[in-house]
Order: sequence, then C-alpha cells, then structure tokens
Amino acid sequence: MTGAAERLDAQLTVAAPPVGRVKLSLNGVARSFGAVRALDRVDLSIAEGEFVTLIGPSGCGKSTLFNILAGLLEPDPGGTLLLDGAPAPSGSLLGRIAFMPQRDLLLPWRTVLDNAILAAEIQGQKKREARELARSMAAEFGLKGFENHYPQQLSGGMRQRVALMRTFLFDREVMLLDEPFGALDALTRALMQRWLLDLWSRYRRTILFITHDIDEAIFLGDRVTVMSARPGRITLDRTIPLPRPRQPSLLTAPEFMALKRELLEAVEEESLKAFAANGP
Amino acid sequence: MSGALRDGLLGAALFLLLWEGVVRLFGVPPWILPPPSGILVTTWAARASLLPAMLATGQEALAGYAIGAVLGILLAMLLALAAPLRRLLLPVIIAVNAVPVAAYAPLALLWFGTGPLSKIVMVAFVVGFTVFLNTLDGLLRVDPAGIALLRSFGASRLGVMRRLRLPAALPDIAIGLRVSTVRSMIVAIVTEMLGSQSGLGWTIYEAVLQIDFLRVWAAILLASLLSLAFFGAVGVLERRVVFWR
Ligand SMILES: Nc1ncnc2c1ncn2[C@@H]1O[C@H](COP(=O)(O)OP(=O)(O)O)[C@@H](O)[C@H]1O
Ligand SMILES: [Mg+2]
Repeated sequence: MTGAAERLDAQLTVAAPPVGRVKLSLNGVARSFGAVRALDRVDLSIAEGEFVTLIGPSGCGKSTLFNILAGLLEPDPGGTLLLDGAPAPSGSLLGRIAFMPQRDLLLPWRTVLDNAILAAEIQGQKKREARELARSMAAEFGLKGFENHYPQQLSGGMRQRVALMRTFLFDREVMLLDEPFGALDALTRALMQRWLLDLWSRYRRTILFITHDIDEAIFLGDRVTVMSARPGRITLDRTIPLPRPRQPSLLTAPEFMALKRELLEAVEEESLKAFAANGP
Repeated sequence: MSGALRDGLLGAALFLLLWEGVVRLFGVPPWILPPPSGILVTTWAARASLLPAMLATGQEALAGYAIGAVLGILLAMLLALAAPLRRLLLPVIIAVNAVPVAAYAPLALLWFGTGPLSKIVMVAFVVGFTVFLNTLDGLLRVDPAGIALLRSFGASRLGVMRRLRLPAALPDIAIGLRVSTVRSMIVAIVTEMLGSQSGLGWTIYEAVLQIDFLRVWAAILLASLLSLAFFGAVGVLERRVVFWR
C-alpha cells in the first residue's frame, strides 16, 4: 500500500471511538410538499460505525429523508436532528455528510479518477494529492487499469464503484447510500454487497443504506428499519444478530430465513397500503 | 479524409459541373449567371485587390467574433448566477435581439465610423447575442440532482458553476459558437456594403455599381470559402472540446 492510502486508513480507523456512541439522531423529523405529506415524524438513532439499512415501498419518502440528512432539504419545523449530539440545522449539514444519490451522476467530461476526487477537490484538496490517493485506492475499488477511462466507457457495476469511491473519498463519518445497487443485475449486485461489507469493515464508516431488496437489507445491516407507505415513518426497527463477516451461504441459513419472513410481513403490509392508496 | 468530407466535396464538384454545363448549354449571359470557370479566372486575375479585401473582412469578423463570444459567455454566467437580475434583463435582451441586425447597422456606422470598428462592433453584437442565449440555456438546463450532489459536497454557487454548470453547458456553447461563425461573416459583409472603404462587402457593392458582375461573383466565392473555413475550424475544435458527446 502506498503512503497516501495508509494515511487514509489511519485517519479512518484509529480515531474510531467505541461502537455505541450515537452518531445521528432524528426525533419527529417530518416534511410535506404542499398538501403531500412525504415524511411523517421519523424517529431514528444510529450509532457510530453502525450499518443501518432502510427499506420501504417506493414513494414512501426514503430519498426525501436522505435529502434532509444531506442538508439539501429543510425539514418541517418541530422535529430535531442531532449530529454527534449537537443540533444540526438544515443549512449546516451541507458538506458534513457523504451522500450518494440514487443515480451515479458521474460527470462525462471527467475521468474515473477525476470523478472520484470531485468531493475532495471541492473541499479544497490539491488535485494532484487527491489523484494520488485515488490512484492508490483504485485496485480496492476494482478500478485498476480504468483510472483514465471516462464513465461512458464503463459497465453499470463499475460506474457504481466510481460513485462509491467518490463517496468514500469525501472523507465523512456518515455515509448515505440511496439504492446504490438497485440498477445492477443479481450477480453483480451480490458481488458488490460483499465487497461493500469488506470496505466497511476496513474503513468503519457509519452507513445508512436504502434498498428495496429485503435480502440485501438483512445481509448488509446491523439493523433493518422499515418505513411505512407515504407518509413515511419508521414502523419497524429490527436488530440483525447475524455474525460477521457474512458469507453468501448465509442467504439460505434458517436464521436468515426467519428474519426474512418477519421483515417480509412488515414490508408487505406497507406495500399493500401503498398499492391501495396509489394504485399499481 | 472522412467519409462525410469526401461526400461533401463530391457533391460540390457535381454542383459546379452542372452549373458550368447549364450556363454553356443554354448560353446564359454572364451578367445573369457566369460559369464557375469564369469566376475562377476572374478571382485569380484580380487576386491583388481581392485578397486584401478578404483579409480585411476576415479580421473584422474574427475580432468581433472573439469579443462577442467572450462577452456573451460572461453575461450568461452572470445572469445564471443572479436570478433576479436575469428576470429583469432577459426580456429586454430578447426584444433587442428580435430586431434584424441590418436595422442597427446605420447607427453603428454613425457612431463608430466607416472604418473596421463599426463592423467589429456589429459582429460582436450579433455573435454576443447568439452565444449568450445558447450559453444561458445550457447553464440553466443542468440536472438539478447533479447540483444537489455538488452542494452536498459543500460546493458554493461559484463552485457549482465552475465544476458543473459550465462544463455541462459546453455542448450548447459550442452550438452557439458554430452558428456564430457564419453569422459573423454575414454581418461583417452587410455592414461593409452599407459604408466602408475595404473588405469583400465593399468590393461587391463597388463592383455592382461598375456593372462588373464577374468581380461580384469572385468576391462571393472568397466570402463563401472564408465562411466555410471558419465554420469548419470551429467544428473541429468543438469535437475536441466536447469529446463526450
Ligand atoms: N421536491 C419535491 N416536490 C414535491 N414532491 C416531492 C418532492 N420530492 C419528493 N416528493 C414526493 O414525496 C414522496 C416521497 O418521495 P421520495 O422521497 O423520492 O420516495 P422514495 O425515495 O421512498 O421512493 C413522493 O410522493 C414524491 O412524489
Ligand atoms: Mg428514492
């Protein structure tokens, strides 16, 4: 490993306090768009270094919640949002949380490396230094040999890895990932899930991960949270006591199946509600 | 040579041959339509006076083009950043632009004289509008999700402009710049016709008065070639800069 990557490693792992300290805490966070109530008093607390997955029917307000956490959208007055125990008013969150939106949004005029360092560059880091660090991490993100390619030349899975690398290089403790693997085929998705867990175990970020795939939610998460049909709120918060590191064989284990059954019921109930309210 | 270029040259050659044939076959008098061969011979014979005229027109068009392009892009950036100012100024700008250029040309001659300055100002004016409108369109049509992403990284409005809006608008800017090449030549020549002491427009005007129609056609030929070369050069540049399209 090069010096730059080691520095990043140290930065990310050494300072991590014991798991359990609350990193992010939401209390009654709500948001309406005109007459449409998208988010209804969300209560959620995430510990440092925790991997929490969020699952719910489409249109229930998951992306809205992420936009609020990223500081892009003001929540309705009344709720509280604490980051590291301190109140975080909407404007103050910009630039403090690493946000990966649903689409990869890679810039077609930038190479893989230059897309990956976008956030670092905006934060004022020297382009040359940022590139050097990104180059040393390319292999880890499965992008070795593609550093100077343009996004148009990459497969869907590779594009997502570039977007993830951009999110990781935006050196923030909390990462919001909005359905990062939603558009990938099943095989690629399974590979990416294990790869992401591997990365997470090394870099230990606090992750909130949106998905509409129950297997994925259980396989990845320390906790799975279920959001109700619109107006969205957290209706179930289930700890996943499966040991790590998790192997693909886990997907067919009885304890996995039991969890899946339990969560499937909760999600199905919400999906039916959404279906009844909005039609197919 | 690219296939498109070869086909284009072939088409042009066929067109000239047809022209030559029709003129000879039907004995069209040269003051109505001279044959291409006659135009070429005249152009060569009068090169000593035609080339300086072409150079003068080219310089005016190029200078006006450069000034107009830079001002158009800068104004578009300013108005993209300042929404209230944009709402105030855009209707006025569009109204001024809606009047045909030729209507302003006499004023330009009055204010800036019959030298090159009036032509440069007119070209800059027309190119500026074209580039401005295309650039503003591109700057404002950027994917809001991309803007949100950059803001979540802590980018300021200027940062979003520099790293997202401006590069994303490059294809639109390039279209404005390409269209402007031909317009810059037209405006330079028209303004020369209305008052000048040099240039291809002035040559055409003078030749018409002297009933020297071959010379008119020779000047038109050179103007077309210049315009085409300018258009082609900007097109080549565009494909290099906007490589991702
Ligand atoms: N900017 C907005 N303006 C108006 N309505 C919005 C806006 N953003 C989201 N919504 C509405 O809020 C609801 C939740 O949307 P979203 O958070 O994107 O759902 P999800 O990500 O769970 O699929 C939807 O009904 C959507 O139409
Ligand atoms: Mg969504």
